[in-house]
Amino acid sequence: MTGYAAPIRRLIQELSRFPGVGEKTATRLALHILTAAEEDARRLAESIIEVKQKIRLCPICFNLTDKERCDICRDATRDKEAICVVSDPDSLVAVEESGSFQGTYHVLHGLLSPIDGIGPESLRLQELLDRISHDSVREVILATNPSVQGESTALLIAKLLHDKDITITRIALGVPVGGDLKYTDKMTMAKAIEFRRGM
Amino acid sequence: MTKGHRRTTYKTTGFVLRFIDYGESDRIVTFYTNDYGKVKGIAKGARRSKKRFANAIELFSCSTIIFSKKPRQELVLIENCDVINHYPDIRTDLEKTLTASYLIELIDQFTVEGKRNLQLFRLLKDFLELINNSDYSEEIIRFFEIRLLKHTGYEPVLERCIVCNMPIDRTENPFFNPKNGGIQCVKCRHNDFSFIPVSIGTVKMLLMGKEIEIDRIHRLILSKKSLKESREILGSFIRHTLGKELKSLQVLNQIKRMTVQS
Repeated sequence: MTGYAAPIRRLIQELSRFPGVGEKTATRLALHILTAAEEDARRLAESIIEVKQKIRLCPICFNLTDKERCDICRDATRDKEAICVVSDPDSLVAVEESGSFQGTYHVLHGLLSPIDGIGPESLRLQELLDRISHDSVREVILATNPSVQGESTALLIAKLLHDKDITITRIALGVPVGGDLKYTDKMTMAKAIEFRRGM
Repeated sequence: MTKGHRRTTYKTTGFVLRFIDYGESDRIVTFYTNDYGKVKGIAKGARRSKKRFANAIELFSCSTIIFSKKPRQELVLIENCDVINHYPDIRTDLEKTLTASYLIELIDQFTVEGKRNLQLFRLLKDFLELINNSDYSEEIIRFFEIRLLKHTGYEPVLERCIVCNMPIDRTENPFFNPKNGGIQCVKCRHNDFSFIPVSIGTVKMLLMGKEIEIDRIHRLILSKKSLKESREILGSFIRHTLGKELKSLQVLNQIKRMTVQS
């Protein structure tokens, strides 16, 4: 890397700080930026600054937004009485892209992980409880991952909301659409049988 | 390729103690195995591969593991995992999940990589099965702690005073000294008030819980006072031995506070 001029070295160093990007990939990206049109490089730089300056958390659901409140919370057609609880913005996008949920969300920004010291105080859990006690909520859908951490987070939320007059549901588990039963693991298969439905 | 760089493949059974996501789709996993003790390795593509690691890399699940390593290599390459037991009744119960998390954190903290300890492996297996198959009780945690300390060589002296060797039966108002790792009688306390008072009944129950067969362990029921005392003496001793408070205990306390408030 010593053969490169100092500004290029600096760019390589900065890019190699990205997750999953080593020095070789960083060098390739840096050289791409160098050969790209000045306008393209400027747009890239501006978009990085823009996300840092404009993106914040929605005060209601804690999703990422560039406005006072996020698009979903501002949308008058969304069912405000149904809240889908997810661990992070990526999961919110996954549920939203399915197009099958018309309610609102709550992003916890993490999952319980006792062994890593991540407890309820590290999550946006109190904010969810406050929201439920202030607003009229009919159903809470627990859409955390079906991992040990996701399950324990869902169990804790269900326990905290147990005495409230709210329907608490958990997303279903089973065989994926287009999947093949002979390649499905034992645990998923057992859940698929447990949660079978009438036809 | 020289002989010294040859990769050898191993097959064993192990519990997942912890894992962290690494790179795009890999995971670095720590197992506690019956043949090789604690093993840390990289499972390449673990977050994508449904075939090689299908749900096997989940906390405290027990799997058959195939891994390979080169001599003197610290991080092994985990090639395949096949779940034997994922303890479904622990996963669907918050208290049981928190307890199992504490047990695996204890195993992780009290062991070093590459040292086989079959008794410790059996201890974890027996207690995870016990938690999975029976109702939760705090006694299980205390008996696990005392047995873990025994199998790792940190067993506290509970049968007698560590200073004058007076048997516990003949001791009046015994105390537990976490720094010295044992019981001290009132005469040997020398006005040190940092010791924890403990009743003879509690000590005897812990001694029984340390030795009794696993299928009879549920018969030992501690009184509220004995539970409190054993929590204090074992907790302080573990804290002193490790030099820190375990993270899962801190989270457990947070959850207790939160569920009591609601």
